Amino acid sequence: MKECIFETENLVYSYSTKQAKPSLDNVSVEIHKGVRTAILGANGAGKSTLFYHFNGIFKPVSGTVKYMGKPLEYTREALTELRNDISVVVQNPDEQIFSATVEEDIAFGPMNMGMERDEIERRIQESLFKVGMEEYRERPTIQLSYGQRKRVALAGALAISPKVLILDEPTAGLDPQMSQEVIELVEQLCEAGTTVIISTHDVDLAYAWAEEIHVLIHGDLVYSGEPEPFFDDHEKVAMTGLVMPHTFSVNSSVQRICGREVAPYPRTNSQILCKMLPEGSRIGKIRLVPVEDSLPDVPAEGLPTGIYGAITRRLFRAAGREPDYHFNAIEYCLMDAVGGKDSVLFCDAPMKDRVLEVIGRMEAFGKKVEVVM
Amino acid sequence: MSEEMQMDTLAYSSRMLKWAPLGKFLFVIAVLIVNIVTNSMMVPFVTLAIGLVLMAYSTNFKIPFFVALALAEAVLILAIGCGMISITGDKADPAIWDTNLLWFDVYMTHDSFNKAWLVMFRGIAGMAVMMSFATSTPIPHLSQALKQVHMPREVSELVVLIYRYGFFLLERLDAMWEAAHCRMGFNGFMNTMKTTASITVGIFTSSSNLADKAQIALDCRNYQGYFPIYNAPPKLGIKWILVTVAAVALIYVFGIYTEGWIDMTKLFFGGSA
Amino acid sequence: MTVIQTDNIVYYYEGASKPSMDGVSITIKKGVKTVILGSNGAGKSTLFYHFNGVVKPKSGTVKVMGKPVSYRKKDLRELRSKVAVVLQNPDDQIFGQTVEGDVGYGPRNMKLPEEEVKERVDEALFQTGLGEFREKNTMQLSYGQRKRLALAGALAMKPEVLIMDEPTAGLDPQMALELMELAEQLHHNGTTIVISTHDVDLAYAWADEIHVLKRGKLIYSGTSEGFYRDSAAVHSTGVMQPSMFVMNENLARMRESDPAPYPRTESQLISKMASGPKGGLEIVLVDGELGDSVHAALKGGRKTGVFGTVVRRLVSDSEKKADYMFNGFEACAGECLMGRDSVLLCDRDCLDLVKAKIEDLKAFGTDISYNVNG
Repeated sequence: MKECIFETENLVYSYSTKQAKPSLDNVSVEIHKGVRTAILGANGAGKSTLFYHFNGIFKPVSGTVKYMGKPLEYTREALTELRNDISVVVQNPDEQIFSATVEEDIAFGPMNMGMERDEIERRIQESLFKVGMEEYRERPTIQLSYGQRKRVALAGALAISPKVLILDEPTAGLDPQMSQEVIELVEQLCEAGTTVIISTHDVDLAYAWAEEIHVLIHGDLVYSGEPEPFFDDHEKVAMTGLVMPHTFSVNSSVQRICGREVAPYPRTNSQILCKMLPEGSRIGKIRLVPVEDSLPDVPAEGLPTGIYGAITRRLFRAAGREPDYHFNAIEYCLMDAVGGKDSVLFCDAPMKDRVLEVIGRMEAFGKKVEVVM
Repeated sequence: MSEEMQMDTLAYSSRMLKWAPLGKFLFVIAVLIVNIVTNSMMVPFVTLAIGLVLMAYSTNFKIPFFVALALAEAVLILAIGCGMISITGDKADPAIWDTNLLWFDVYMTHDSFNKAWLVMFRGIAGMAVMMSFATSTPIPHLSQALKQVHMPREVSELVVLIYRYGFFLLERLDAMWEAAHCRMGFNGFMNTMKTTASITVGIFTSSSNLADKAQIALDCRNYQGYFPIYNAPPKLGIKWILVTVAAVALIYVFGIYTEGWIDMTKLFFGGSA
Repeated sequence: MTVIQTDNIVYYYEGASKPSMDGVSITIKKGVKTVILGSNGAGKSTLFYHFNGVVKPKSGTVKVMGKPVSYRKKDLRELRSKVAVVLQNPDDQIFGQTVEGDVGYGPRNMKLPEEEVKERVDEALFQTGLGEFREKNTMQLSYGQRKRLALAGALAMKPEVLIMDEPTAGLDPQMALELMELAEQLHHNGTTIVISTHDVDLAYAWADEIHVLKRGKLIYSGTSEGFYRDSAAVHSTGVMQPSMFVMNENLARMRESDPAPYPRTESQLISKMASGPKGGLEIVLVDGELGDSVHAALKGGRKTGVFGTVVRRLVSDSEKKADYMFNGFEACAGECLMGRDSVLLCDRDCLDLVKAKIEDLKAFGTDISYNVNG
């Protein structure tokens, strides 16, 4: 039985009394602790209205919201306490950055919580490191580019060390590489025990990442659960303004044409390819190198190298080493493995288990990828 | 990059950024006052030297083009004003130059000519000192300084918010302006009027939208009703007061000692006066 | 034919020490689907503001339709009716109180006679599916609707070149598909479309030719594959290889076969990955109204898809909807690949486009048999 971190019951909310249909209409949803959750829906479906109920910004017209099993109280003290646990990163960073310099903005949350100065200092450094913006610490926020502002907003949210992090369209407007970096960071937070909720209409992102999805349409919750049954229901998907994720539809078509079972469902390209491998193909090995605080001296032996995690990335940059796969490296290494090629993957030590888990999943698609430590 | 942005970038990159804003302010004002109360022609030169040294240290004389333009314009206006001062001398004094030029009754005296130069030098020197302050103190620092002199918190917070959103709206303004060009919004007087009105409405709407959303975002970040400051700029210390008093005293004494050293009339018209 | 050509243009933003456009020589050809690719701040918007004379280069020349751009007021007016820009954020370019008023803003600024303004507004509203909103206040529209309104405003200028900055950013997936289909239709009917984006998947699916910008420099011009194969260059530009490209490369490596032909669409990729008995496709042409054959198709047992602006409007107003209201061709092709018959309801002016798509699939081993009805 999974533990609920948020639970709403028959939640109804309207912005104004004149609305014909409430913005949230009898929504009963369970968000599970530690489960990668995506809230999916078209623009205006009620995604943000829903998550603003989680941190008590909106008070339901009727129905209840529970955090860790306890109904929300809407007193000032209770809300302050609640919001010390929950961080929200809105889509447009300009709405969320209030201070003139990066450092001030990141200190905003911790200072509101009344933390000690030393602790705040530590938090600033840590969150700037996580988003890779250390050298911008004293820069005025208005001089930053859109992508940098988005990262500052994220760092500001991380600075309070939230138990729950809610991200609204976290990759919207970001360069592809920066998007990958954000996703990597999210993985890191999940691994460290933060519950992350992503609100998005990007089905490819949601499908590749989420374990559970909740789908909204015009204020109604139409689906809760694993992504596959939802995306398999063509009519329902069409109704929500969404589309099938590419990996999902490619796999479904290919398996149907070949007259095979559609399941197990691949979420990545490497998993699709793995399913298609003929019997007896050679599978490449992945040499996994966990990185603590210095780069281990591992000869690459001409093999392609990938890097994963903020620490590894920083160390590679400092050493002036150019990896072959800068971003989305696990996937690239797995592709190599499926293609019969060996590769080396450097990853942050705390992320080792996660990487092993992702590599281990290949077994479900027919082939075991061997990992050498 | 907008002009405001250039000024801001410059201030944040200044070597004098970490100096107490109030200290800088006190120093500059004091120097300006002593610059005006002394009558020596040498004092403006000292003031100018201080201003130039500070600017060199602060930003290596990097001045945004538009500021330089504004300064040049100010010097021009100053020059015209001084020209006027120089030719409206006291009729009781002997004239160096007395003529009717167009509809001007030109009457230049020894005193009026010298006074004009003094005003001119004071003006230029004053601008240099003030620029050294303006190019090293970003607005948020100024607002923090206001807080230190017990200005109500609301005022200084408002200053910072206006500053933040001012830039944001400026960006919007730029974007809308260019978009209007793409759709020929400035084709003729009526269209220009209409476009300008639409842009104003657009900026207004987006600022109120932003304010709404920012309110929510503030609550998400546990806003407690005031903006805390992590790294306040340094306070006005005793050091600054000492330096200021010393500088003022020195310049003042220097001013009295050097009064009359330079006589512009002599320089220009020889010993005739 | 060359539509836009720049020669060594250099541009500095005021007060900037580095040029934001650093010796860019680019050629945009007519009838070639073009994408300008680059990360945030690479200079994409600065470049296209050169195309319509909003920005004047410090040095170098810009030629539109073979003529050097003249920055005289009168000439700029003509230029800007030829080269229209749709910005990423629709709010930056909405100038009217009502939908109708905003779409008419450009044509009225051009001082066209009122009848023609009306005509253009009608057409642009129809193309973008905003007809029912014509009297609505622009503030009451949703984001997706405002984005379409911005496009309608540009279409009302009847441009020869339409530049779209991040056209799908912020749009729901279905709306994004609809918009790209409209772009395809416009392009097919003779408007040159240039898309500026950092979305590599979008760029890969759309572009015949890409131009890659990096910190104000043009570092690549040519086919997509030529650029994406160079992984060092891709990395240095801040983008990633498109998922479809990576998939195909690895598929080829796995099979030890040639990666060419490169699939750009899902149906092409699937064709390469698996093959079986194919279904047939019936293409029903639609003009101004839904005929009996359309109603029959909608009621019949086969899956139906729509392709084209007109038919989508008509079908969404009719009682019975099609199965695939978006991405109709791809969906129908997918049905055929799985051995099922399907019907594509298609605007008459899109027939050649659909035929070309069927032709393209042949290179990937899928020969869809089709008949045209109407």
